[in-house]
Amino acid sequence: MNWAIQTLNGISMGALLFLLASGFTITFGLARVVNLAHGAFYLLGGYMGLTILWVTKNFWLALLAGGLSIVVLNYFCERYLIRKTQGNELGQVLLTVGIVYVIADIALVIWGGNPLRIAQPEIARGSIELPFGIVYPRYRFLLILFGIIIGTGQWLLYRKTQLGAIVRAGVDNRETVSAMGIDIDRLLAMVFAFAAFLAGLSGVAGGAFLTVYPGAEWDILVLALVVVIVGGLGSLEGAMVGSLIVGLVDAYGRWLLPEFSYFVVFGPMAVLLLFRPTGLFGREV
Amino acid sequence: MQTRKFAFFLALAIFGLIAPHILDTFWVSLIMQILVFGLLALAVDLLIGHVGIFPLGHAAFFAVAAYTTAILEARHAQPTLVAAFAGVASALILALFFGLAVRTKGVYFILVTMAMGHIVWGVATRWSSFTGGDNGVGNIPLPKVGSLAVSGYRDYYYVVLIVVVIFTLAYRVIVRSPFGTTLRGIRESESRMRSLGYHVAAHKYAAFVLSGGLAGVAGVLYIYLNRFVSPPTAAFHLSAEVSLMAIVGGSGTILGPFLGSVVILIIRNYVSAHLMQWATVMGVVFILTVLYAPKGLMGLIGRHSSPGLSPAVNRSPQKNESNRSQG
Amino acid sequence: MNPIAVKVEHLTKTFGGLHALEGVSIEVPLGQRRALIGPNGAGKTTLFNCIAGSLSPSSGRIFLFEKEVTQLAEYQRTALGIGRTYQITNVFHQLSVLENVLIAEQGTKRQKWILYRPLEKFKSQIDLAMEKLSSLGLDRRRDHFVHQLSYGERRQLEIVLALSSDPRVLLLDEPASGLSPAERQRIGEIILKLSRDITVIFIEHDMDVALGIADQVTVLHQGKIILEAPPEVVRSNSEVREVYFGDA
Repeated sequence: MNWAIQTLNGISMGALLFLLASGFTITFGLARVVNLAHGAFYLLGGYMGLTILWVTKNFWLALLAGGLSIVVLNYFCERYLIRKTQGNELGQVLLTVGIVYVIADIALVIWGGNPLRIAQPEIARGSIELPFGIVYPRYRFLLILFGIIIGTGQWLLYRKTQLGAIVRAGVDNRETVSAMGIDIDRLLAMVFAFAAFLAGLSGVAGGAFLTVYPGAEWDILVLALVVVIVGGLGSLEGAMVGSLIVGLVDAYGRWLLPEFSYFVVFGPMAVLLLFRPTGLFGREV
Repeated sequence: MQTRKFAFFLALAIFGLIAPHILDTFWVSLIMQILVFGLLALAVDLLIGHVGIFPLGHAAFFAVAAYTTAILEARHAQPTLVAAFAGVASALILALFFGLAVRTKGVYFILVTMAMGHIVWGVATRWSSFTGGDNGVGNIPLPKVGSLAVSGYRDYYYVVLIVVVIFTLAYRVIVRSPFGTTLRGIRESESRMRSLGYHVAAHKYAAFVLSGGLAGVAGVLYIYLNRFVSPPTAAFHLSAEVSLMAIVGGSGTILGPFLGSVVILIIRNYVSAHLMQWATVMGVVFILTVLYAPKGLMGLIGRHSSPGLSPAVNRSPQKNESNRSQG
Repeated sequence: MNPIAVKVEHLTKTFGGLHALEGVSIEVPLGQRRALIGPNGAGKTTLFNCIAGSLSPSSGRIFLFEKEVTQLAEYQRTALGIGRTYQITNVFHQLSVLENVLIAEQGTKRQKWILYRPLEKFKSQIDLAMEKLSSLGLDRRRDHFVHQLSYGERRQLEIVLALSSDPRVLLLDEPASGLSPAERQRIGEIILKLSRDITVIFIEHDMDVALGIADQVTVLHQGKIILEAPPEVVRSNSEVREVYFGDA
């Protein structure tokens, strides 16, 4: 029974990670941008959603608010800061880390240092009865479904639409796409906005079962990083597979070897480094 | 040029020697921290400034050494030499494993080292039966080697000063040796190095291990200074700030990481005493450094990673005849 | 009979759907000057990369002086005697001219692992490097950043670096590309002065330069060898002309 619960825990965590990691990985794939501020986006998105929830008592509005607020934030960050570090990997990493420091500190001032729980929506409260007599928190189960829907949607967009084809071509070779007359800046803006929206949204989604707290920005970021390392930067499939692996390994690790759970997460990463330094689906950077 | 430099170092040396007698404990303690973290930043800069790869997880080696020494001293009453040696050894061993990371390139390397560093933090936090979890490890006695016992801050200050100077000089030799020059070649063009006969991966790995070991030395110095270690010592914050120290001060130079250490520690220790939002200040420093001072303070005063056999001296074309010697 | 310095057997390299090289077989005897010509995209640099070891072939074998090197890493092949230059100058820009040569010199030596002694103490090494720089007229710029050198000077440095490992086989990838006539002259002289102990394979677009230096010419087109003959024969061959100029 426990195995089933833990597996579901892993999958639901994976769903959350996917929401955050997919945006991060596609942003890198298309624009070669490493935006570690994604961690802060998660945090701030959660806090913003929380505030909207307090005001409107509506979870769905909170989700939307969390997402949109980060779209705006990312726009300014990208336009005035991140853009200036094009091609400078370490610079970009340090710059976005600096952004995280600032955002996290401001959040600390506004919302304080205590973990805050985002109230789950009515339909997601309580537990759900699954086959084989498994009883599982409804919210986390719905999160899995949500993750699957978003994942499938993204995948379809990416693989089956013309827009997706353009993005894929851009990931492959930006200059060519630009030369083909496609407005690469519009494309980038769209992708950035989408990634930011997901990041903020994931903050709200995560906040409803993990709480929102100072430090969450790093905790989730590191897991998301392992996801993209394992899955391969720039690959949507990689983010899916990676999220699942990391989510499951994290869940099993916490359950079976609580004192070493972090070490357990490192396991798949280390094995991968030995054989595929660019991740399962990644390509030479 | 030479006399100005000599005068500078002489003044620095004199200041260094008399500091504990003219400043109060707060400042002496700050200087010790600057030296210790400066050494850590130097270790990181071996990779950033000379190999051209950017680790964001060196707090792991620092913390592992600190924890090892702490546990041996506090819980197993091991003599200082044993505990200190074991501390450095533990960092080296960890670096032997984490060195796997050099198989990755560019952004992957940054992310992988970041994740590795976080793993160590996680172990420090979760393996509470061994590491004490959030309570950390304390009650570290002052160091004692044979009959020489450190009896207070002032004594330890000189220990730190001597150790840091020795290792910095050793670092200087390494960085100017054929091995060090090889690293800079790798930084410039790995492909070219391979075609010239270099086993690039082996050199990168060796540099990584050396860097981890040096970080361990800093960790051992730290534990006798702080007399306490806990998970924040392994946190990503420290790794990021240490990398920033190297950049802010001037990557690729010897003095740079120490200058950077001064800047960052003043923000952490001094600014924080007067301003709640010191983390915002830190973040802004990160951002401003990247955007406006990528060569760091050393770059601003005109000394940066430069040609010639000594990496730390700027020689403009006209002056190269008179400036033949060291930096 | 001259020993065979470089032998390539049925070499094939595909990138995704692209066949860069198809069943290429070449034998270059010791001391020969072999020109490798062909239009853009013919696979010349790919062939170089496979011989040097920076690229793994999809199939086929490579031999250096009868010894198979197909499985060896690039740096191991250098130790066995391969040196190469790059089409796009690949030198150490943020290091001094002298450091560039010193690094090249110690590439195949144990010395590169020494970390307890400053490089400036290795007098004989430095003298040797200075000699090489003198022959290029670069000795007075020994402490300059390489990025301060002119393009032509960097191209010369490129060859010096490749020669520093005392190669027995030298692969030159368009050594004269982007150079002024005077600079081409200089490069030409450097190549002609090379001892016949060294086997030289060079890619060159300038037909006159190529055919002027070469003993034998290999013509590549779309990954396959279409002709292997002495320069005069190649010069007047109609198929080659068609491949290059689109007419007969």
